[in-house]
Amino acid sequence: MSSAAAVGVPTALAVVTVCGCGIRLAGFVRTVGVVIEVVNMTKRYGPTLAVQDLSFTVLPGHVTGFLGPNGSGKSTTMRVILGLDAPTSGGARVDGRPYVELPAPLRAVGAMLDARAVHPGRTARDHLLGLARSNGIPTARLDQVLGTVGLSDVAGRRAGGFSLGMSQRLGIAAALLGDPGVLLLDEPVNGLDTEGIRWIRGLLKALAAEGRTVFVSSHLMSEVELTADRLVVIGRGRLIAEATVRDFIDTHSQRLTVVRSPSSRELQVALEQAGATVELDPSGGWRVTGPEPAAIGDLAHTHGIALHELRPLRSSLEDVYSQLTATSVEYRAGDTGADMEPQEALR
Amino acid sequence: MSTTTDATAAGFRPLMSPNACRAGYREAVWSEWTKFRTLRSTRALTAVLGMALPLFAVIVAATDSLQPDDTILGASLLGGAVLAQVLAAVLGTLLITSEFKTGMIRVTLAACPRRLVVPAAKATIAAGVGFVVTLVSGATAFGIGLAMLDGDTYATGDAWPALLGVALAIASIAVLGVGIGTVVRHSAGAVTAVIGVVLLPGLLAPLLGDVQRWLGGGSLNGVMQKLTQSSDATHESVGSLGAWASLAVVAAYTVTTVLAAVWVLRHRDT
Repeated sequence: MSSAAAVGVPTALAVVTVCGCGIRLAGFVRTVGVVIEVVNMTKRYGPTLAVQDLSFTVLPGHVTGFLGPNGSGKSTTMRVILGLDAPTSGGARVDGRPYVELPAPLRAVGAMLDARAVHPGRTARDHLLGLARSNGIPTARLDQVLGTVGLSDVAGRRAGGFSLGMSQRLGIAAALLGDPGVLLLDEPVNGLDTEGIRWIRGLLKALAAEGRTVFVSSHLMSEVELTADRLVVIGRGRLIAEATVRDFIDTHSQRLTVVRSPSSRELQVALEQAGATVELDPSGGWRVTGPEPAAIGDLAHTHGIALHELRPLRSSLEDVYSQLTATSVEYRAGDTGADMEPQEALR
Repeated sequence: MSTTTDATAAGFRPLMSPNACRAGYREAVWSEWTKFRTLRSTRALTAVLGMALPLFAVIVAATDSLQPDDTILGASLLGGAVLAQVLAAVLGTLLITSEFKTGMIRVTLAACPRRLVVPAAKATIAAGVGFVVTLVSGATAFGIGLAMLDGDTYATGDAWPALLGVALAIASIAVLGVGIGTVVRHSAGAVTAVIGVVLLPGLLAPLLGDVQRWLGGGSLNGVMQKLTQSSDATHESVGSLGAWASLAVVAAYTVTTVLAAVWVLRHRDT
């Protein structure tokens, strides 16, 4: 539970309990949950630099989205965290230690890298049973997790006949098997239908609300926007941003307001005189960059112009993201030093 | 940086204490056994392995295709020996290559991240299944030979501990399959390689003159011939090394292959 308790040697138990209380009383809430720390991780495959000097921390109690275009190093990062690939330098810690040193990894970290990584001839239940045995997990958990992911009815069917959506659910069941404090899911939404997507959003939020560390990669910005409250964004193996979704959008979006008025020409003139940039919005009104919505309202009032609509328009994560990654690609084409800029700006 | 939400304040309490359990060798063997018995393909292959020796014992005895100086033991066990070796080798190989093929190996290694544990557990299952199945099927084959062949015409042969040795030899080749499968990763390539190890000494050795007894003596089939006191086990073909010493040679290169497999798992990304 607490990172200190993970020492787990019987003789140290008394001390550890005291430490645990101390931590709580002192109010260092974050140390209670399990964190994922990636520290200066670099991974090279032959001549290809998949991940370069990547550092970030994933905190408990949040769904953290791991964003990046395809091939940006998300899966590589996850494999290194899980000890499957050896980093060229740097590395990752889970619960304060390298993954391979966890005494019972499935109890600490539940991971799903590839939903199809199941022997097609084995039933869903037997697949989970084999995994449960490997970490001494009681078999009572099988039916619990099968129920959680909604596969109870097909538990006795062979996984080879599963749709991608069912495979995803089985993969998530496997990740939940050890009731871990950390969940690491690579593109869990892939292949799910609308109902499934809604289900997984709720599940991830609920898991985070229980104080777990939930780390979910995706290349679908719209999906992350709905699920995650924190973000780690990478592009070409480098960190672009580590922030809350709100901060990320605030920092990088342009403030737009859509305004409509029956006296649209007069409004445009007034706004432009006030120094705003005015463009036509597809909805028929004006898209105003510059003044806050309140200022626009006041301006209209002073000029005696009636307003029919005054609507602040936030950039979606998708807008911000594509802008930012486009920038990082441009920078990369030129001077290497320059692409540190967006990262610095965020911190 | 934003602040942590209230939800974290309680901290996450797992249902099971992460320290109350281990993911060690014993758990891995338990897991591999579960995986072994829950696949139709491995069960079928094991059943065929169990039938190989008795089936050929029946054929050999029914056709009375023995040399006058053959033992009943040798006649009963050697007929299906090559088939049993090949089947055991394939079984061992598939235990690991099927995981590479499906990507399941990542799930397995994430559950048991210490690289010695998984190959050791798979080797244990391969060896255990190979040993038990061969001990039973070998004894059955010998029983068939005793029942069907004329004990006055042919010498019986010392069944014990030869049957034990045969079971160990088949177990050994199954473990070799695990080792080669781990290194090669692809089912077809690994099966080809391990069948090569079984068959090539028998095919090549007669062509090599004096080298024959060295190659034959260290080959699995040579070991089987010696153990079953077959008339095939001549000094020219399999050398003068004793049956058990030859078995030790086979065991030694099997262990070496498994160690190579562990090294490969440690140093190669999965």
